[in-house]
Amino acid sequence: MKFYVCIKMVPDVAAPFQIKDGELIMDADRMVLNAYDASAVEEALVLKEQHGGEVEVVCIGAAKASETIRKALAMGADKGTHITTSGDEGFDSGSYAAILSAFFKDKEYDILSLGKQSQDTDSGLTGSMVAQMLDLPYATNAVGLEIEDGKLIVKRQGDSGQEMIGLPTPCAVTCSNDMNEPRIPNLKGIMASKRKPIDTVELSSLELSEDELSPASKVTSYEHKPARQAGKKFEGEADEVAREVAQLLDTEANVL
Amino acid sequence: MSSILTYIAISDGKIKRSSLEVLSRSKAIADANGLDCDAVIIDANASTFTDSVQQYGASKIYVVEDPIFIQHRNTPLLSALSKVMEQSKPNVVAFASTEGTKDILGALAANQNAGVVADVSSFDVTGNGVLAKRPVMAAKIMGNVEVSGDTVLVSVRSGSYDLVESPASAEIINIDFSIEESDLKAKLREIISATGDTIDLNEAESIVAAGRGVKDEEAKNLISELASVLNAGIGASRALTEAGVYDPSLQIGQTGKVVSPQLYIAVGISGAIQHVAGMANSKVIVAINKDGDAPIFEVADYGIVGDLYKVLPPFIEELKKIKG
Ligand SMILES: Cc1cc2nc3c(=O)[nH]c(=O)nc-3n(C[C@H](O)[C@H](O)[C@H](O)COP(=O)(O)OP(=O)(O)OC[C@H]3O[C@@H](n4cnc5c(N)ncnc54)[C@H](O)[C@@H]3O)c2cc1C
Ligand SMILES: Nc1ncnc2c1ncn2[C@@H]1O[C@H](COP(=O)(O)O)[C@@H](O)[C@H]1O
Repeated sequence: MKFYVCIKMVPDVAAPFQIKDGELIMDADRMVLNAYDASAVEEALVLKEQHGGEVEVVCIGAAKASETIRKALAMGADKGTHITTSGDEGFDSGSYAAILSAFFKDKEYDILSLGKQSQDTDSGLTGSMVAQMLDLPYATNAVGLEIEDGKLIVKRQGDSGQEMIGLPTPCAVTCSNDMNEPRIPNLKGIMASKRKPIDTVELSSLELSEDELSPASKVTSYEHKPARQAGKKFEGEADEVAREVAQLLDTEANVL
Repeated sequence: MSSILTYIAISDGKIKRSSLEVLSRSKAIADANGLDCDAVIIDANASTFTDSVQQYGASKIYVVEDPIFIQHRNTPLLSALSKVMEQSKPNVVAFASTEGTKDILGALAANQNAGVVADVSSFDVTGNGVLAKRPVMAAKIMGNVEVSGDTVLVSVRSGSYDLVESPASAEIINIDFSIEESDLKAKLREIISATGDTIDLNEAESIVAAGRGVKDEEAKNLISELASVLNAGIGASRALTEAGVYDPSLQIGQTGKVVSPQLYIAVGISGAIQHVAGMANSKVIVAINKDGDAPIFEVADYGIVGDLYKVLPPFIEELKKIKG
């Protein structure tokens, strides 16, 4: 089985930030491999261990994004492709999906795996866009993957239950972080990753340019959320405070 | 003629309230901007829902009825929506942000060459598209987004708008649709239904959510008892859905569901940003945690610092008195 896993470098949502005149300012060094993509890489590695094959990761981004490719290679991916951009193009999911589908158009693979969403924007659009553009059968929000008779069996989390879906290959799937705990690269993996190949691809070689990929959606500004009123903390004898809060929910908050 | 089309999601034989919230918003936007307010229902029994949908002001209701829609399947849903969009040529298509919507939104945008913005908490139409506000960075801040396009798709978080009835008599337009099971490449093999509590968390007025502090049967029983006194839905943090203690569909947070009940009681939950991302819009938040420094207290209106085994029994008893 040939796996391609699309991985993205995203800002660490736990890092400190500021909003100044509507602009989000944060430390450009606090970038991480999108958690959902790390799960997609992990799952591809497990399936490769079970069934054989190859895991290749693809990342679109500025020079720094190659660090996430190294991370995936250190986890155990076999090779990487870095599709380079200037980094200040303001791409949205539609732009990335257009690039990814141009890249995959003439590639051979069995399973195209993506994260279910970017953890900074929570958009969750790229996966099904790419599937549509490449006319692939797909499933989103996978919480478990298996291979059976050359088919990908996806367990996806739906609204009220889980759905088991059989997909013929080639197919696309988007992964939830609920499917596994991504491995932490060990020293051996890190050393080995240095010898693994990373191909660099320019947008022009995909017959694309940053201008024509200009995003349909733009973030015009960021703002703080209306802060929640700081509440009351009740410490002391459990029986007393429990009863007091129950009373307040009735008489003060009026939610009973 | 310009229009805003709202997709009415049906789940377990019922209209999802969140899609009526979206329809209420669409109606207000339509009235303010001189647009038609239309709706589309895609379900095995779609026509049985038109009366309820009329109550919220739709002037045309597109109905796609086929047994294939008994279960969520992305390919048939996509082709039905594409067909309705090609016929009705809406400027905006609005959805409630359910897992079913998330499964097809990007594909539909690509298929219809439409602009798209997902999971917004408010939106409006402009001359050339949609303006929306959406939570970003694990819902710590809001982003203002401008989407341009002749057609724009928008999905809206549950609880973002109130239901507003506005009875109208709608024109019903039945859309011919058929798809052969054998033409579908993706095969649905099995549905593993959520067990236990069946209150839809997106629609629950009250939610009792359990975290890692809920360690054993005794604690689980206390959670169930509290939920039953309040007629609340039960939710859980990732720590417990991952451990298999609660059904995965009960997970609340960035990966799980986004909820906005009147009352949210977090029991033994630390308040990691990814959990808070899913519940910070609750009206009143109560936290019960033995660690007085737990971050959950930063968002709680009523924080009880204490051991849940000691706090919950008198809390439940007092609530029973008030309720009874
Ligand atoms: C990309 C990503 C997405 C995620 N999505 C989600 C999501 O959707 N939902 C989610 O919940 N998490 C999510 N997480 C995980 C999240 O970061 C936390 O790990 C998780 O929420 C922790 O769950 P918890 O609060 O139950 O457990 P813990 O953090 O371990 O907290 C347990 C709490 O219980 C308290 N406690 C223990 N015993 C008692 C007692 N006897 N009485 C009272 N209090 C007690 C402790 O003081 C502690 O504060 C996500 C993480 C990532 C990286
Ligand atoms: N720049 C990128 N490079 C590689 N994959 C990407 C990129 N952007 C998005 N993706 C893929 O799309 C998923 C997220 O989609 P979205 O939430 O729409 O941003 C990620 O988890 C990746 O798998």
